Amino acid sequence: MSVTYGLTTRVATVNSHHIELLLQANGRTMNDVFSMLFGVFLILGTAVGIVVISYMVYNAYKYRETPDSEVAERERPQLGELPQGSGGGKKLAISLTISAVIVIALIAWAYIVLVDVEAGAPESEDPLEVQVEGIQFSWQYEYPNGHTTNTLRVPEDRPVTLILTSGDVFHTFGIPAYDLKADAIPGQTTETWFRPNETGTYEAQCFELCGSGHSAMESDVIVMEQEEFDQWYAETGSETNATTNNTTDGSATNNSTANDSTATTTENRLLDGPAPERQLAATTRQ
Amino acid sequence: MTEDQPRDDHEAQPDGGHTHRSLTEGATTTSTLREFFTRDHLPPMESVQRWLLTTNHKDVGILYLVTSLFFLVFGGVLALLMRIELLTPVNSVLSATGYNQTVSIHGLIMIFWFLSPFAFGFANYVVPLQIGAKDLAFPRLNALSYWLYLFSGVLLGISFFQGGSFEGGWTMYAPLNVPSYMPNIGSTTTVLALLLFVISVTMSSVNFLTTLHRMRAKGLTLLRMPLFTWSILLTVWMMLFAFAALLAALLILSSDRILGTTYFTAEGTPGSLLWTHLFWFFGHPEVYIVFFPALGAMAETFQTFTGRRLVGRKWFILAMLLVALQSFLVWMHHMFLTSINLEIKTLFMATTIGISLPFDLMVFSLIYTMVKGRIRFTTPFLFTFGGLLVFIIGGITGVFLGAVVLDYQLRGTYWVVAHFHYVMVAGVTALIGALFYWYPKITGRMYNRRLGKATFGLFFVGFNLLYFPMFIAWETPRRVFDYPAGLTPWHQLATIGGFMLGVAFLLVIWNCYWSLWHGEKVEGNPWEYATTAEWAVPSPPPLENFPGVPSYDSGSLDFLDETPEASTDGGTAVAGDQTHESGDHHDSHASPWPFFIGVAALVFFLGLSGISTGGIYPALTIVGVVFGAVSLLGFGMESFSVTEPELGERWPFEGIENGKLGVWIFLASDVVLFGAFIGSYVFLRVGYGWTDWQLVPHDPIPGLINTYILLTSSFCIVLALVAAEKNSRWGLIAGLSTTLLLGVGFLVNKGIEWVELFHEGIWLSSNVQASTFFLTTGLHALHVILGLLILLFLIPRAINGAYLDDERPVEYFGLYWHFVDIVWLFLFPLFYII
Ligand code: HEM
Ligand SMILES: [Cu+2]
Ligand SMILES: [Cu+2]
Repeated sequence: MSVTYGLTTRVATVNSHHIELLLQANGRTMNDVFSMLFGVFLILGTAVGIVVISYMVYNAYKYRETPDSEVAERERPQLGELPQGSGGGKKLAISLTISAVIVIALIAWAYIVLVDVEAGAPESEDPLEVQVEGIQFSWQYEYPNGHTTNTLRVPEDRPVTLILTSGDVFHTFGIPAYDLKADAIPGQTTETWFRPNETGTYEAQCFELCGSGHSAMESDVIVMEQEEFDQWYAETGSETNATTNNTTDGSATNNSTANDSTATTTENRLLDGPAPERQLAATTRQ
Repeated sequence: MTEDQPRDDHEAQPDGGHTHRSLTEGATTTSTLREFFTRDHLPPMESVQRWLLTTNHKDVGILYLVTSLFFLVFGGVLALLMRIELLTPVNSVLSATGYNQTVSIHGLIMIFWFLSPFAFGFANYVVPLQIGAKDLAFPRLNALSYWLYLFSGVLLGISFFQGGSFEGGWTMYAPLNVPSYMPNIGSTTTVLALLLFVISVTMSSVNFLTTLHRMRAKGLTLLRMPLFTWSILLTVWMMLFAFAALLAALLILSSDRILGTTYFTAEGTPGSLLWTHLFWFFGHPEVYIVFFPALGAMAETFQTFTGRRLVGRKWFILAMLLVALQSFLVWMHHMFLTSINLEIKTLFMATTIGISLPFDLMVFSLIYTMVKGRIRFTTPFLFTFGGLLVFIIGGITGVFLGAVVLDYQLRGTYWVVAHFHYVMVAGVTALIGALFYWYPKITGRMYNRRLGKATFGLFFVGFNLLYFPMFIAWETPRRVFDYPAGLTPWHQLATIGGFMLGVAFLLVIWNCYWSLWHGEKVEGNPWEYATTAEWAVPSPPPLENFPGVPSYDSGSLDFLDETPEASTDGGTAVAGDQTHESGDHHDSHASPWPFFIGVAALVFFLGLSGISTGGIYPALTIVGVVFGAVSLLGFGMESFSVTEPELGERWPFEGIENGKLGVWIFLASDVVLFGAFIGSYVFLRVGYGWTDWQLVPHDPIPGLINTYILLTSSFCIVLALVAAEKNSRWGLIAGLSTTLLLGVGFLVNKGIEWVELFHEGIWLSSNVQASTFFLTTGLHALHVILGLLILLFLIPRAINGAYLDDERPVEYFGLYWHFVDIVWLFLFPLFYII
């Protein structure tokens, strides 16, 4: 597992690659973008924090009461006076302007990057589209050929578009190693994408409290070489053509039978009244 | 007139109680029970009875402080449980659901039952003193707020014993929060406890807003108010509207849980998004609601202990005002990961960053205030200073979350946990400073200074040791008990810090307790350069606070004699006349009813929690209703007098009296409540497809008839009021009775309509259309029923000749009734026609 943890590693990995990214217009993934932005925010944030806090502590020390503190008692507040301020508006205005410039510049830049990311996976690279469904407490992936599984396998260096939804409660799907996260909401779909750039096994996890098994709602994400993937994918294709429903490996067999029928079941349930069977099944399982 | 002197000797007692019982000879001869119910004067502070009876703002403030500290310990124990669990990266001590309950209830307790009430302890104690009022506008209502708060907390505690408490996080996301996923009764109880808490908060908001707008000393214009009072004013305005949205969310959730409506499970329609909208429309302002009082306390202590007035005071106030307004426009930044589109994300990113800038200004203003000061590092200053310091870190790390791309990754991790603790516990730190600052005022004794400073050292180190490692270990997912093993050392450090912080909190409490007996005595004002009015009176202040009528007319605080002449040049002669008619009567400070209503509410809600499971629960509900009705009646019949101050600043509400302003403010929050219900309906219907949605009533005619009935009844109540003004007793009675009959007619008509629908098999849980129809119009019907109950209270009194001299109760009722009609005018087309 090539995941490194910790704040320091993050900062340390801000390198020339990210500076290049700054100049380059497309092909950025969430992974690149996040590391770059996070690094810059961290450096600036730390700097601002140190400056402001030092200034604050310095002044507190400088103007501490000492036996020979000069006392201009006339200017000191009196008990019972009508509350009033002391001047200093200009100084405030200047400080505010400086901090506003820093914050707004940072955010504007972050925004430009956001627009880039939001554009989705570049169509030209023929992204692989996988439907992801969160179900208490596992993730199900459905490939274009109808194959359904609990392990996400993707080829290296090809963008992957994930289309997320939930079969029961609110979940959030995330692959920390690829700085990727999106909500999985019942009755809604959300979309996100990433570009797996190194083979290996990573972890996908749930990031929204979803019940007793939330902490363990994980699944493997396996990034494979293109050929290996093709081979695997071809096998699943022949298999699924025969039996759509039986390929679910693992626990969630009774949930969400054929995925294409989900839409209709939802509607029926709405019109026929409550008794959401699937929900009951979900709670009794565990 | 003797009004320039405190009226009784016992009122001059510093503790406000009367230790000289011989002065109330009559009372001592009667049985204690009768005394309890008919008491005019407060028992002494050592007596338990006093604390059950008191309506005095200072007593209630102390009750809030003590109770909230108790909840701090409760929430803290839960926090430490989690920290112990997190010592190892695998599951160790708590069960999975145990951990989820711990995290949820810890969050709920700390935010709702500790932090806000702790701040409101100070608000209760200090605000009336700072503005020159003898008490809040509605003292009994204030006591009631307190008891509902306390009993809502008790209810929350009970939830653990009903098969487990709520497990879905303090944000209570849908649809995890409905019974099909969280079936235990305890989670319903948690929701109801929060509901009860919200009711208490709403009453408090009405009370404080009326007080702050109507009862300021002469010369104390809004802009001149002390900063702590300013922070409370803005806090309560935010509370009024934000909590109304939460009230709507919780009412719907309770109904989904108890009655089986399907708002949040409606899958084809975005039920779970509906919750996030409702919750965060409340939730973001809540962030400022818990922080503003701390900000006000910082401003006060910085001024006092640096010996300088605040730099850029007006800008500071303006910044707070901006934040308060804008806080209602940022809620969707909690939904960046949902399917909202780029335009909305952009908008909310902009408003979010925009709202951070006023905070920069406030921080700078506080820092610049120190320049050229004479800073004394007393315990209160250390705590507020430390609070500001960690708040700066909390603020900077919050900007990260505002940048949407970073939020994509940071959401749901310990970055968020670290950030919000740095912000919220910064507020707590400052409020601990406030506790030490006002401790001598409240108790008349000084805390132990050495221990205070040492505690601060431990607190500050513990705080940073606890929360800073969370930034470093930010890749830990939030609300889980197993995390990547590589992060273990950071979590262990945090646990050590957690225990240090816990000990520091205990030392704070111990210091307060110990100093009650052993602290140095303090006469009036122990703080050089303190300016605000609470320091100009003895410590603790006498029962009615001031030795005369406080006024800033001369440019600084004076206490005027309470003579009638004083009112003639006040320009508010009308209000003056009214008070003086009542001559030598004086204010009441005790009532048993708030406590009883609180108990009844506890029993009632406990019964509701499990009502669908049978057993003892239905019986409890009935007992609660009966006991509640009796107590409310007692509350209504009790003669409890409060005088409105004769002189004062009342902008912009000079023209109306306290009662009316209170009703208006309450109705404003009710507007948000119905707004949220109607908004939910529209949201679900749009999600479903506006035109595909079938209306539930087959026939608009009953609804149309009801519209006419209500309009007519509104007209009748106007006639009743006119009759009262003309001193026509029978006209008044006729007007009120016709209104009552029309109201009953409305309900009967509606009842027939509903019963028909039930016969067809359409029930609240049938589908989302039926759910919204029954619940929204049901809430309206509940308002009608409430109105009729008030009428049933008014009519017998009118028959006895009441309301002819003083028709205000009828007028207030009229306002309410018109409002209920107007709501119907919106509901009818939405649910019957379009
Ligand atoms: C004193 C004021 C405090 C406030 C206002 C506060 C507030 C909160 C809130 C709102 C949550 C989120 C709960 C949720 O996700 O549903 C939370 C979580 C947590 N708090 Fe506190 N807290 C406070 C003190 C503490 C202390 C003293 C500790 C440690 C000793 C602590 C440790 C934690 C932990 C470990 C979590 C769980 C984080 C997670 O898994 O998401 N908190 N707190
Ligand atoms: Cu999940
Ligand atoms: Cu927010």
